[in-house]
Amino acid sequence: MTQPVLSIEHLSIDYEVGAGVFHAVSDVSLVVPPGRVVGIVGETGCGKSTLAQAIPRLLPEPPAHYRSGKIIFQGTDLIPVPRGKLPQVRGTGIGMIFQEPLNSLNPAFRVFDQIAEAIQMRHWREEGILPVFHPGPTPFDYTHRPLPEPVDVLSRPVVPGNAKAAVAKKVRTRSDFRKEVLEYLRLVRINDPETILDLYPHELSGGMRQRIMIAMALSGKPALLIADEPTSALDVTIQAQVLTLMKELIDEVQASILYISHDLGVVAETADDLGVMYAGQLVEFGPVAEIFEAPRHPYTKSLLRSIPTRYKSDWPMPTIPGAVPNLSRLPRGCRFHPRCSLAKPICAQDPGPVLRVIEARAGSSSSHQASCHFAEEVASLP
Amino acid sequence: MGRSLEDLIIFILKRFLQLLPVLLGVIVLTFLVTHVAAIDPCPRWYQKASLAVINHCKAQFALPLWTQFWNYFTQLLSGNWGTSPLGVPVYPVISAAFPATLELVLTSMFLMIFIGIPLGVIAAQFAGRWGDHLVRVLYLSGWSIPTYVGAIIAAVFLAPFLGLPTSGEYSAPPPFPQVTHMSVVDAIIALNFPYTIDALSHLILPAGVLAFIEMGNATRMTRSAMLEVLPLEYVKSARMKGLSNFVVLYKHALRNALITATTVLGVTAGGLLAGTVVIEEVFGWPGIGAYAFAVLGGGGRPDFDGAIAVVVVFAIGVVVANLIADILYGVLDPRVEWR
Amino acid sequence: MAATPLKVRRHRRGSGGTPPRPVGRSVWRSVRGLYRVMRANPLTFIGFLLVAIILILALIVIVDPALIVPYGAAQNTGVYKQPPTLLQWPPSIQHPFGTDQGGLDIYSEVMLALPLDLGIGIGIAAFALIAGGALGLIAGFWDQPRTLGGALSVVIMRTTDVFLAFPSLVLALAIVASIGRGVWAAILAIMITWWPYYVRLVRGETLAVKHLPYVTAARAAGVRDTRILTRHVLRNVLEPVVVYFTLDIGTVLVTFSTISFVGAGIPFPGKVPEWGSMMSFYQQNYVLSTYWWYITFPAIAIFMSALAFSLLGDGLRDVLDPRTRRALAESSSFHEPPAEVPQPAATPDAAEAEEEEIEEEAREAGVAA
Repeated sequence: MTQPVLSIEHLSIDYEVGAGVFHAVSDVSLVVPPGRVVGIVGETGCGKSTLAQAIPRLLPEPPAHYRSGKIIFQGTDLIPVPRGKLPQVRGTGIGMIFQEPLNSLNPAFRVFDQIAEAIQMRHWREEGILPVFHPGPTPFDYTHRPLPEPVDVLSRPVVPGNAKAAVAKKVRTRSDFRKEVLEYLRLVRINDPETILDLYPHELSGGMRQRIMIAMALSGKPALLIADEPTSALDVTIQAQVLTLMKELIDEVQASILYISHDLGVVAETADDLGVMYAGQLVEFGPVAEIFEAPRHPYTKSLLRSIPTRYKSDWPMPTIPGAVPNLSRLPRGCRFHPRCSLAKPICAQDPGPVLRVIEARAGSSSSHQASCHFAEEVASLP
Repeated sequence: MGRSLEDLIIFILKRFLQLLPVLLGVIVLTFLVTHVAAIDPCPRWYQKASLAVINHCKAQFALPLWTQFWNYFTQLLSGNWGTSPLGVPVYPVISAAFPATLELVLTSMFLMIFIGIPLGVIAAQFAGRWGDHLVRVLYLSGWSIPTYVGAIIAAVFLAPFLGLPTSGEYSAPPPFPQVTHMSVVDAIIALNFPYTIDALSHLILPAGVLAFIEMGNATRMTRSAMLEVLPLEYVKSARMKGLSNFVVLYKHALRNALITATTVLGVTAGGLLAGTVVIEEVFGWPGIGAYAFAVLGGGGRPDFDGAIAVVVVFAIGVVVANLIADILYGVLDPRVEWR
Repeated sequence: MAATPLKVRRHRRGSGGTPPRPVGRSVWRSVRGLYRVMRANPLTFIGFLLVAIILILALIVIVDPALIVPYGAAQNTGVYKQPPTLLQWPPSIQHPFGTDQGGLDIYSEVMLALPLDLGIGIGIAAFALIAGGALGLIAGFWDQPRTLGGALSVVIMRTTDVFLAFPSLVLALAIVASIGRGVWAAILAIMITWWPYYVRLVRGETLAVKHLPYVTAARAAGVRDTRILTRHVLRNVLEPVVVYFTLDIGTVLVTFSTISFVGAGIPFPGKVPEWGSMMSFYQQNYVLSTYWWYITFPAIAIFMSALAFSLLGDGLRDVLDPRTRRALAESSSFHEPPAEVPQPAATPDAAEAEEEEIEEEAREAGVAA
């Protein structure tokens, strides 16, 4: 079995604010194998964004503390890395796209400059001008893939294949990257990218900005792409376009993707494995199809049940009673037990097993795990 | 998209036209203060002058208000800025003193920008921790010292300690021609190294004190603008590219923070110009600040015509500084349309 | 679960008017909030303490100077009515700030000047606040074009722009030179130059509040303008204005002492001492490197007073940070929804309300939820 791109082991992160200590992430473990898409779903406040930003150590360190655990990216634990070396870590192999495209692109710089900067940094690393934290296995490289046939004029661009020849051993100026920038823009299905090179972000639409951000992230040739709710701030139609783009990219690009979302439908379309987070913990993890067919945690079941399927005839809409607990004052025992219909006395005392394997089918991408005492009984819930 | 060179010129012209009414208002207000609000002006303004001068003054004030204003207005615009009670014409004095103040103010602004803004960035970086508190105590101290206290402390206690001179632009009259009338610039143009050093040593203390006192605005604005910018996602995107912390802060974050911080330039201009009044007096710097100190009654010898002229000149200075700040803002923020 | 708006209050339909609040709980909560703020901002706390000390000292000097002022040669107050005997001496136990050549105990003079300077600072700032604030409210609230209010606002703003084009010190000096010297001239001069700042500040804040969703809703519902002004606009505008006012006291103090220094203020030695005129007098007549204590102590007095108010004001400004203010403004309930607009009967119990507070703090700290 090849080494997983990302392996998180028992990660716990706390925020220390004046009002108390927030346990944002508690004992989360997951594995992202190469070439797969792992989705994380959860409500607002469950810690999924904290988790996403913790991986490349983007969290502001004084309030945030990595209490325990490891984040192993391509074989190296990222938590003990000293602050000074962090810029080297972040550029090497992890790319990230954010939720709000308005704020993810620097409003003061043109599109060309922003993407060219990312490409320039990558070239400096490849040429040895900048120190690289760890020379992991070579990240995704476009050059070895066969060119796809152009099917129709409108949607299938050409992925250029001679990028290797372009990596010459000399320092170049920003304008030398023009061709590469255009290639990456075409990769994200922007037709006529020359027209937008000189534009500022505020002159572009939300969907366009999101594509540019994806292009910017991919131009670093990451081995792992973390997508932190990339479509949540977009209109539904634009959301559909960007999702289609991402799905096509998943086929083309060999990076693994960690897809964070609060939208179950979106994750169902794109992910191979799914993790469900609640109040900072990973309560269920497994192949997407299995989780949707047969969830093994009461929370997941309630979530799936609360998706309205029949508009106007689904009344009253099923909800989960109660509210998400305050992360600084968590209930004793299982964190979900105050709202759980399966709750028994033991749930108030014993937090329960962390991701106990329920079933592991052959041929599945991963085993189906859940953190509940009574995972077997979940199937019997309405 | 509305940001070409011709658009820039139109933008500057538009902003310039917008300030003409303010200039007119400035002229009117100065008239109101000096001519209309004056209580028994002639003996007060012309204290030790001859009787003929005082009678002439009384005759002037006896004229109807519109005539007074017309005389005042035309004289101001034509450059005939009157004379002092002893007969020294005002306009040449002011135009000779102006470059010195310009040099002082520009140097102070330079210091404020290159010390004050990085301090603001540091304060934002360490928000809430000791670095922030240290910076805050620093600039609040500057703010809380009256200008003359700072000037006196610097001149009396700091200067001997540092071995710096405390009076004038040079130690001895310079042997080279005064091209720009700005001490350091002239010395550099004349390629006279000892005099350049001398001029710099005379300049550094007054400019430093002025900058220290006025720095607070720039530092605080930079700090709050950076605090708004730092949590935004594009800063994180920049970090994800692998850029070093310095580049992320000073290239990506500061560039956006400065957009809001340029508005402070106009406010600071007023404070800097007001500060020159005291600083130039204490340090013997021959600029319009020292002149203002004298004509507004500082040495017990006020000068009516000089006061009017210097007040208007100061106001024009503030207005021009605001104009520059406005234009700078339009240039820096890509979202501003120029046409 | 979407982020709940802050401080959702219980509203009983049909009760009309403000629902009665549990006074004790809200007082306790604001005290605790205040304590938390002070702990997080030690400088603010120091400023607060200093301001309190200064105000208490000023009060003592006004009411019963004999308590802390030993000699009052200038005013015939103090414990000892006759002038001190050790003249021209540096600080010592009997005269903590030293004495001067003319028979004045510097400590007494400094303390006697305290209420005057403080009063002038607070008074001028208060006047500017009220006058400028009123004008700013008018200019911001009734500035619809093509109405009387609109014309008035244009006039107000243009005049303000003209006043703001002058450096305040220069304009004040010109006014004093025109109308004569003396303490009242100086006060009047600063008052005239100071109010424009408040006009601009208040107008900006008023405009921002005017465009908040619930204010627009209230106006659309037909609520009278004056009621909107007092209930919503004023309360939301008050916060940044109070911050600026606190900072301003220090600035006015400093400017007034500078005017005294230039010679346009209160003469010294005179009936009442004043820090600026003290320093001006000593600076002109004595060699300061020898008699350093003459100006050091009045300078420290001004510095500490201005610094106290600056610390407090700057710290308060941080608490009411534009970031959090903007986040507040964008949420649908800013301070308190108006009673006229019907609210869902939300029932925040203590735990949930505190939860919101903690969540807000976490958001401030940059927690990504």
